[in-house]
Amino acid sequence: MLIRQRIIQCIKVFITTVLVVIPLYSQAEVTITDSQGSKTLPHYAQRVVVLNWDLAEQILELGVVPVGMPDIAGYREWVAQPAVPNEVQDIGTRVEPNYEKIASLKPDVIIIASPQADLQSQLAKIAPVLFYQTFSASHDNAQAALDNFRYLAGVVNKQDVAEQKLVEMKSKIQALKSRLLLAYGGDLPAVTTMRFASTTSVFLYGGNSMAEYALAQLGIKPALDLPATQWGIVQKRISDLHTITDGTVLYFEPFDQEAALSRSRLWTSMPFVRANRVNSVAPSWSYGGAMSIKYTAEAITESLLALAPTQANDVNQ
Amino acid sequence: MTVLAFMLALFLSLQLQTDMAITKQYALMTGLEPLEFVEVNFVYATLPRLVIAILVGASLGLVGSLMQQLTQNPLLSPLTFGTSSGAWLALVLAAVFSPDLGVESNTMFALVGALSAMALVLLITGINNLSGLPVILAGMAVNLLLGAFATAVILLNDQYAKNLFIWGAGDLAQNGWDWVQWLTPRMCVGLVILAVAPRVLTLMRIGQQGATARGLSIMPQFLLLLLLGVWLVSSAITAVGVIGFVGLLTPNIARYLGARTARDELFYSLLLGALFLVLTDALAVWLSQFTLDFIPSGTAAAVIGAPALIWFSRSAVKAQDQMVFRLPQGISRLNGRVFITILVSLVLSVALSSVFVMQDSAWAFAWPDAFSWSIRWPRILTSLAAGAGLAVAGTILQRLIHNPLASPDILGISAGAIFALVFASMFWGITIFEAGPLVAFVGAMGALVIILFLGKKHDYSPPKLILTGIALTALIEAFVQFALARGNDDVYGILAWLAGSSYRVSAEQAVILAVSVMLLLLLAFSLSRWLTLISAGREMAFSRGLNGSAAFVLLLCLVALLVAFVTANMGPVAFIGLLAPHMAAMLGAKSVKQQLLVSALLGGFLVQFSDWLGQVILYPAQLAAGILVSLIGGSYFIFLLIKGRLNT
Repeated sequence: MLIRQRIIQCIKVFITTVLVVIPLYSQAEVTITDSQGSKTLPHYAQRVVVLNWDLAEQILELGVVPVGMPDIAGYREWVAQPAVPNEVQDIGTRVEPNYEKIASLKPDVIIIASPQADLQSQLAKIAPVLFYQTFSASHDNAQAALDNFRYLAGVVNKQDVAEQKLVEMKSKIQALKSRLLLAYGGDLPAVTTMRFASTTSVFLYGGNSMAEYALAQLGIKPALDLPATQWGIVQKRISDLHTITDGTVLYFEPFDQEAALSRSRLWTSMPFVRANRVNSVAPSWSYGGAMSIKYTAEAITESLLALAPTQANDVNQ
Repeated sequence: MTVLAFMLALFLSLQLQTDMAITKQYALMTGLEPLEFVEVNFVYATLPRLVIAILVGASLGLVGSLMQQLTQNPLLSPLTFGTSSGAWLALVLAAVFSPDLGVESNTMFALVGALSAMALVLLITGINNLSGLPVILAGMAVNLLLGAFATAVILLNDQYAKNLFIWGAGDLAQNGWDWVQWLTPRMCVGLVILAVAPRVLTLMRIGQQGATARGLSIMPQFLLLLLLGVWLVSSAITAVGVIGFVGLLTPNIARYLGARTARDELFYSLLLGALFLVLTDALAVWLSQFTLDFIPSGTAAAVIGAPALIWFSRSAVKAQDQMVFRLPQGISRLNGRVFITILVSLVLSVALSSVFVMQDSAWAFAWPDAFSWSIRWPRILTSLAAGAGLAVAGTILQRLIHNPLASPDILGISAGAIFALVFASMFWGITIFEAGPLVAFVGAMGALVIILFLGKKHDYSPPKLILTGIALTALIEAFVQFALARGNDDVYGILAWLAGSSYRVSAEQAVILAVSVMLLLLLAFSLSRWLTLISAGREMAFSRGLNGSAAFVLLLCLVALLVAFVTANMGPVAFIGLLAPHMAAMLGAKSVKQQLLVSALLGGFLVQFSDWLGQVILYPAQLAAGILVSLIGGSYFIFLLIKGRLNT
């Protein structure tokens, strides 16, 4: 009897222990993914320090304010959106972030990209380090950006926000696509995007660039086949553009020598310039994260609508 | 003969860039209105590019020959005179601080920058001392200082400077005839030079004293010609960017081919300059067909120019050059108080780096916690070892080469390390920091092998060593500019490494560096007797039973090893090897042993203090110690040189 009671008591204690401890564990430990595989964190991250602009942009998109990020003045000038709140602390440059400043912010996690890859062991002394690589020759940059967006959401417990934003982006791009189809009468032109380096050379956005991915989502083929590279850009002389015979060319602002360009015989005799299939695109950060696909698609659509045979305004009315 | 080769080159260059029939090309050149794109491209891109190549090549060749004859110095050129780095710095400043300026004001900036750099070199050497190695070394020092300044500005304002990188790499591509029209009237100055210069130059060959004795005052004409030359070069630089080697190389080729009189040399240099640039540019165009990114003309010119320069100038410099630099002499004997002051400064600087705590709006002193200390001590150790190592390397080299302006940078050792790292990061797709110290060390050793191999034929004569170093450095500079011009985000990693920072040195690396430098320093001290003998002259050393050549090579390897260890871990740190030995001498350390010891302490202190300062002044951002040392040390050094000259 006694023994039986004892056994039952033991079982009771055991069960209660398990019942109490297991949920504690499952609430506490979080499994997340980064470019190095899956890792566990003691809990969802609240104090985030992020060391590269494209990742900072995505954390901000998810509605989380990081406690620290690099070169905030530079971010405000070149990346601009989403805006950085004033309480975010500057932790130095992207290439040489300030260790002691980061430590003083007592972060839950430190999120890095390839420029900081070699700092990982040092940073790990401060807090768990998560590494997200967006730009690499060995994978699809845009897909990596989308994956990373979801993984990052998993770190800060904003999975629902991420899914919602991605769905929004998809439907936004669908809407842009149908506007374009309408304006172009169902027949979208092939498009190549670029940035001017000078009046004689250009950076073409080719395979593995966010711009080309955005175009593909809009249902647009590239006007020039360019191989995939790590950063998605290829530098070419302006004469090389003449092979774009029946495609459209869009160039990203800012470019301060448009006047010189319009005088140039070489430029004005390009097939796409003669046929008036060229336009500028509002500035957008080339090396951004998932949501930069949306911003790029919006800017490109805006520019293409201005070139459309049926004016965009007529379509809207 | 040359004219014929020139015509042939023009013809070949054109055929390379177009598939149109020759009759069609001729018709287009004589006024046929272009319709098709290929025709427009021929008339508005290919032809103006060729004309620009001719104009720029000719003017660089002409000015190179003018400068070399004016100074009777076969190594002088716009490149070695500091003009291009002056123009580059001025344009970087313009792009960052007032980006909306037009082309015309940029031109003025470039001109002012080029002239100021040249004025600085002239101030250092004095107008009468342009015929030897010293002016080249002074130009090198000015190049280093202005280059460090430009890198610092770019690093702190990276995005603004992006569009300058193409210009920095030097490209001849044209879009229309605008630049040709802009450049042509400015090239008329070249005709003035061709008309006036031969008479003056012929007189100069008698020697300045001789000419003055005959009642001719050469100085005004000399200065006027020099000014016209720089003006011509500045215009060319503004139009197409930095293209090295043409001005340095072509007069040497002209003399090699037998141009004897002043007029012949000017004329042939002009022709050869045009020929050289047309050919290298054709090479750039041809190679660009096979590469994904195009190759800038300046890169091609450097790749051909550097080996050609070493080849053609085998007989360029003969006599061992006289030392003409006078630095302020300072105290005549080392006393205890000075020594103790240096030691105390060193200890204070280390202490400051250990306990100083920077916050956003205030600062404080506190013992570092375990983490802070683990971040700080490797940097302290690295900067001390780097400073001491480079200072000792500089002391040895200056005594070996008998020239107070010989810095370890000019041997090309650190250039070899830079080349290896940039090359590895460009072609194997790894980031420059992953490539790390090993690659840099291999590059530095490769450069040493080249230097020893090329130097052996000439018994390691100092001018040859310096010439090889200059060629290697300029080649690598062109290559780095090419890497920068590719427009991706790797650029800032490369620039940050070039700045010379202790930030990424790990604890193990710091210990390895410190131990290696320590061992090499001990070796240097134990060899100080050799150095004393060699300082007194090689004959002297030989008569005392020392095998001069073997000792020389061994000491040179010691210098190279020191530079290689430091550069591999910290990146290039300029001027310490130049400045520390002089400061040591000024403080009274005149014997070899004293100078080695005091300069090591001074070097360690200077780099360590700069490293701390760089972490504090822009907090939370950091400025690399290498940049700060170059800016502060370089300015002070050039100030010393000018002061020393004006005092005599």
